[in-house]
Amino acid sequence: MSIYYYVVFGGYLLFLAWTCMKSMRQVESLSDFTSGGHRMGLLLGIGTTVATWVSVASVMGVPGYLYRTGIAAIIGWVAGWFLATAIMPLLAYKIRRPELPARTFPEFIRMRFEPFQKVSSLQILVAVLMFVGYFIFCHLQVVGFGIVFNTITGVPYEYAIFAFLVLLMLTSLGGFWSVAATDTLNASLILIGLAFGTGAILYATGGVGAILESVAQTTAPINVGGEPMEPGILLSPAGTFGWSVLLGIFMSNAIGASVAPHWIARFMAPRNSKAAVLQMMWAIVALIPIFICLILIGLGAKALLPSLPEGKTTDYIMPLIVQGHAPAFVGAMTLIALLAAAVSTANSMLLNCGTSLYYDIYRSLYSERKFDDRTATRHLRLAVLGLGLLAVISAIKPPMLLAMGFTYVYGAFGAAFMWPVWLGLFWRRMNRSGAYAGILVGIVAYIAARAMDFSNPFAAGASLSLVATLVAVYLTPAPPKEAYEAYFEPDVSPSTRAVALRIRGESAPEPAAVTPDAKREDIA
Amino acid sequence: MLIALLFWSASIVVSFVVSISLCRKIEASGVPRWGATGKLFRYENRERT
Repeated sequence: MSIYYYVVFGGYLLFLAWTCMKSMRQVESLSDFTSGGHRMGLLLGIGTTVATWVSVASVMGVPGYLYRTGIAAIIGWVAGWFLATAIMPLLAYKIRRPELPARTFPEFIRMRFEPFQKVSSLQILVAVLMFVGYFIFCHLQVVGFGIVFNTITGVPYEYAIFAFLVLLMLTSLGGFWSVAATDTLNASLILIGLAFGTGAILYATGGVGAILESVAQTTAPINVGGEPMEPGILLSPAGTFGWSVLLGIFMSNAIGASVAPHWIARFMAPRNSKAAVLQMMWAIVALIPIFICLILIGLGAKALLPSLPEGKTTDYIMPLIVQGHAPAFVGAMTLIALLAAAVSTANSMLLNCGTSLYYDIYRSLYSERKFDDRTATRHLRLAVLGLGLLAVISAIKPPMLLAMGFTYVYGAFGAAFMWPVWLGLFWRRMNRSGAYAGILVGIVAYIAARAMDFSNPFAAGASLSLVATLVAVYLTPAPPKEAYEAYFEPDVSPSTRAVALRIRGESAPEPAAVTPDAKREDIA
Repeated sequence: MLIALLFWSASIVVSFVVSISLCRKIEASGVPRWGATGKLFRYENRERT
């Protein structure tokens, strides 16, 4: 391993350690740890959005899919994820409206649908789903990092994933502030590293024209000894998928990703609604050069290495190309970009996983106990540490392709949460029964459709979820005003404010302010 | 290639249209807590920082 790797990696590690120490001092309350105290500025918001957005699944998965399926991957994945980001400001605008916003996604669901329940089973249900989904996400990031580190440096995969645990802990233990601060540096490193990698590939292939010419003519199979490709298929818009499957992937990524709980949690952190909207808009601008690099790397890889060695998945394409065609310094910078992508997404997922387990499940189940901020923050750090260790242990034997793993979880989140979130924020009539029906039918239908090998399980899950939601909403009473008022009105009634304070644990008035409306739905 | 890039560009355009219209809506509301400052792309009054 070249000296460049040690220098670049050492510098990165030192920065993470410094940020972690600084952020741990900044955490004063539970809100600080979970959502940055709802006071994050625009620059930090853009940095953390970009870095969380660019995961190891997109950095390794997108070039891998371009290598395998050609430019269809731009429609299915890149355009799908960008459309998700394009519609996210609509959610951000509403989520950050309340003066006393929720701290986590399950708490938002509770505030919107079960504001008067002492123990909200809906909050616990959502937290359990999130916990499972984010654990899979964390696991995928660890696997991605292990593959890259092993391929480029030769360090055994099993050692690499435990080294990743150290980085993950450095960025997660300071909570949201640590995640946001390291993410801003990670976003810059991702862009710089990918630019170096793309430069090396353009130099090796002879430029964009030569890449396109080579990709248009190639019939080389994905793996050595595999079935040859149809000439020109890699430049056909629908590629090897066909339009219906490709549009299904596009919609699953676009709509499914938009309601992913970690994004909803991100919208709670900015100072106000407009900061939340702007952070998504400027993040798109920052993401464009990153994805141009990824597209060129994926197509360039096909020109440089027409077929992968037997037994290697397309997840290996980026490290193989860097290893074979880039000088040591460029290799080190690209490795840091991949590392930054893995760390910045995994720390955010780990934080979501930990808060679901401790804040939304444990605290809900033991609601009679008193939790002061300091104890709660310490418990949350322990939860994050334990889950990080489990994610690394589970990654010792990795089972599936990275981008596909992401699509499964995003699809499941989309099918379960799409209607409760969208209708909850834009339709006053949306109520508790509708949320239960939408979530349960959505998740069960998605899993069943996936098990039955449907071509578009997300569409099946989301459609049945919508029907179930509407039926349940119209068969049951309207929600109390305390459930929706904060998302629709600039000023809320004292009873709505009291409910928000009680849920956040900032004051615990008895539900004396319960309105007749509230009683009506809670009894129902 | 052109069709793929069109899909991607359309997503980017949608992002700008949605975000700018929401910023205008916030400005029209005049609610400072939501970020109304009198300037479309400013999210807080400098005096408050």
